[in-house]
Amino acid sequence: MFGYITPDKPDLKICEFEVFRGYYCGVCKTIAKKAGHRGRIVLSYDCAFLALLIDSLDKAPVSGKHRRCLVHPLNKRYIVDSNFAVEYASDINILLAYYNLKDKWQDEKRLIGPAGMAVLKKGYRRVKRKYPDLVNAVEEELNNLKELEKRNCDSIDEACEPFARLMQSIFLYASDCENIGKVLGWVGYNLGKWIYLLDAYDDIEDNVKSRSYNPLTVQFGYDDGEGVESFRERIREKTEFVLVYSLSELEKAFSLLDIKKNKSILENIIYRGLLIKTRNVLQMGADCHEKSL
Amino acid sequence: MKNPYEVLGLKEGASIEEIKKAYRELVKKYHPDRYMDNPLSDLAEEKLREINEAYDYLIKNANNNQRQQQYQRQQQQQQQYQRQQQSQGTGSGYYGGYSDNSRLVYQIKMLIQNGNFAQAQRLLDSMPVRDATWNYLQGLLFLRRGWYDRANVHLQRAVQMDPGNMEYRDALSRVNTQFNAYRYNPNYYRGGYHQGPDMCSVCTTLWCADSLCECCGGDLIACC
Repeated sequence: MFGYITPDKPDLKICEFEVFRGYYCGVCKTIAKKAGHRGRIVLSYDCAFLALLIDSLDKAPVSGKHRRCLVHPLNKRYIVDSNFAVEYASDINILLAYYNLKDKWQDEKRLIGPAGMAVLKKGYRRVKRKYPDLVNAVEEELNNLKELEKRNCDSIDEACEPFARLMQSIFLYASDCENIGKVLGWVGYNLGKWIYLLDAYDDIEDNVKSRSYNPLTVQFGYDDGEGVESFRERIREKTEFVLVYSLSELEKAFSLLDIKKNKSILENIIYRGLLIKTRNVLQMGADCHEKSL
Repeated sequence: MKNPYEVLGLKEGASIEEIKKAYRELVKKYHPDRYMDNPLSDLAEEKLREINEAYDYLIKNANNNQRQQQYQRQQQQQQQYQRQQQSQGTGSGYYGGYSDNSRLVYQIKMLIQNGNFAQAQRLLDSMPVRDATWNYLQGLLFLRRGWYDRANVHLQRAVQMDPGNMEYRDALSRVNTQFNAYRYNPNYYRGGYHQGPDMCSVCTTLWCADSLCECCGGDLIACC
């Protein structure tokens, strides 16, 4: 995924930050076990959030140890022990990273694609065997996404749909209970929508340069004479509406979850971290209280 | 029944005041109005029922007298809610009895409510005119399925076409309220690191304070 889901670090207690990083390290360690140490490079914060959220629905206390690892051999770090949530998040991480690399190869012919795919191949096959239905659903949405891009879809809502639904399936699959799955699914849907659109806004400049598809430039009619900066300015408010409204729906779904632990960390991410990220990407400098010295 | 203290997010043995405070906040959080355009509204309703039961139970055990008050209040709330529902009911009933078109409107509303988006969209597509009502319904449908950009466009158009209709205005203002409620949520605006004064305003403040002290004959910062 994209690594947009991060906490507002200065507002976390140090112990909370350690636990968040503990999940991140836990996912990393599990990926290494599943896809080899080279597989670790695909790790993203988004999957750490997935592990944190899913595990927080379980009432067993957080278990972990201070350990050394290959990436940080000098300092011992708190690493959450492998459990269902951490396993699931690392499987998802491997799966999405694999598709991402495949995409890079097919679209841009970048050599990192086949190189990374070779590393992840074994892990990817294992995930595919483990969750055949989920993998099918994900692949179908990715095909939809490709098709949308090919026909130059001119609606941001429509363009966000495949990725939002992909995330919905991923979150929904994490719970056996129908009601919890439904709520998690809505968290996933809105998160997916937010991620896709935020990424699109972030990529306007690159996409304009390389003349590749971007739903925002199509819907709001980017013209070369206009310049990227003024275009970003022009669509800022409209984009912000969809982004923030998606987050507000996410927050409603989150409120319905029975969170058993790590509540303050999750609330930090959902009420602060995601908003701060939104504003940073939209470059709403004056309004975001991050005055520079 | 679940532990009522747990449901209200309290420690066991919390005082009546604490119980009431927690209850008020939770009712606000899970209020049907807040979940009106959300696909999880049934689950929010269930949660609210649980909270009401837990509150009722705790207050009953704490004090009979107060329980009665609570009961009355709850009944009032219920009545109010029913009245709201009724007025909404008559709202759609108002379309209801008159023509074929109004029956269609009611049907589409129910389909959206029940999450049958494909069918609702088909009926919407079959409507001959794209008037305010059509835009309103299309807006509601998009809102539920998560297409917020288009939802906003259609709701705005509905209000533009029929500015006098309170139902359309309500829907649009709900959207704006929700947007702002999250954007300016108290967790975010709680202050702290991001809202602290920057170096520049700290220096200016010190300088002003020093000048004021000097005017009065004292000195805050001796070196200047």
